[in-house]
Amino acid sequence: MVRPAKSEEEHRPDPGSEDSDHRGFANAAWAIPSYILSGMAVYGGLGKLLDHWLGTSALFPIGILVGLALAIYLVFHRYGR
Amino acid sequence: MSAPHLLASGSGDEFEAPGLHIFDWGPLIPSGPAWLDWLTKPTLIVILAGLLITVFAWRAFGNPKLVPKGVQNVGEVGYLFVRDQVARPMIGKDGDKWMPFLFSTFFFVLFMNLAGVVPVLQLPATSHIAIPIVLAIVVYLMMLFLSIKHQGLVGYFKNMMFPPGLPAPLYIILAPIELLSNIVLRPFTHAVRLFANMFAGHLLIAFFSTVAWWFLAEKLTVLGAGVGVVGFLMTIIMTAFEIFVQSLQAFIFTLLAASYIGGALHPDH
Amino acid sequence: MLAEAVNVLASADKVTGSLGSVAYGLAAIGPGIGVGIIFGQGVQAIARQPELTNVIRQNMLLGFALTEALALIGFVVPFVHK
Repeated sequence: MVRPAKSEEEHRPDPGSEDSDHRGFANAAWAIPSYILSGMAVYGGLGKLLDHWLGTSALFPIGILVGLALAIYLVFHRYGR
Repeated sequence: MSAPHLLASGSGDEFEAPGLHIFDWGPLIPSGPAWLDWLTKPTLIVILAGLLITVFAWRAFGNPKLVPKGVQNVGEVGYLFVRDQVARPMIGKDGDKWMPFLFSTFFFVLFMNLAGVVPVLQLPATSHIAIPIVLAIVVYLMMLFLSIKHQGLVGYFKNMMFPPGLPAPLYIILAPIELLSNIVLRPFTHAVRLFANMFAGHLLIAFFSTVAWWFLAEKLTVLGAGVGVVGFLMTIIMTAFEIFVQSLQAFIFTLLAASYIGGALHPDH
Repeated sequence: MLAEAVNVLASADKVTGSLGSVAYGLAAIGPGIGVGIIFGQGVQAIARQPELTNVIRQNMLLGFALTEALALIGFVVPFVHK
């Protein structure tokens, strides 16, 4: 009784996995801009604070670029292979 | 106080584009009592949208027939759309449990957006940031509660801030990014996406209709007539485009709400 | 209207207004086209070879992240360079 059902299930692709793949993709696509923004905000803000304390002016843009690079690395790690 | 006159408030001979003042609405009854000051046009639209969805859901599902007819048809099409496009793909098998919330959110936002093209109202209530923010905060609090309930307080922050498979020193510099992205920016972008689209769309329609009114009706010249015709045609095109964008944004707002709820319930994705 | 255009041309040595917004508008053109190309071609690729869906989706996301970064750089440049 159980066997035919099992073999049938093996042939049919699992309907749940496609759904969860789609959900992962949609979540990732919506989350990427906010990752990049928060990377820039965290390290740009750090750079701005350091600028304020040290009296320099270059650390703010550098911090933004570093945060951007880190955020893209995070996205690659989370959603890449 | 006709609508085009209100839009083209420039008093001189120069064309003045509509600015932020088209979103400022005083009390609906200017000389009314002070306790009615809260009743502005956006508030009225929110109340109307709330009443409309109540009546709509009541008429559609209050006394369901086996063979649907009339409003029940529309309601069932809407229900199936939200269930098959939003709830089930985003939340999964237990998505049907969340349908009451998602259905009302979708149609509430949709009605508030569509008020932007309804002739007398002509203001999408969601173009005031307060309204998307309140909706986003409701979803956000729900997401926090569900996450902590289903993953535990420590588990939630661990899942969120420490994705597995990274070298240990990198966690120190990557965890703040994850924290800010998930805790602060998520409700913010959720609300701003809806707000910015409605705001910009309303400004665009107002701009083109002001151009048409100014160059065709108030200061009709040979040179200006062409500009006025272009403005008139663009008003029609942009209105059609706005209807599309308003429906799309209501869908996306609901989709993101469902996606956050789904992420709280099933943290593996 | 003609006189206004002449005035604008004559005062070309001085630009005023919210230039940050103008700059972001210009900076958003390129990434807008890029994101459109990425998702358009990605959907087409999935339609042609559905069995490679997962690989294509990953590459779509990575390309989207890089392109979106450009738009967000345009967003923060007015804050950095006043």
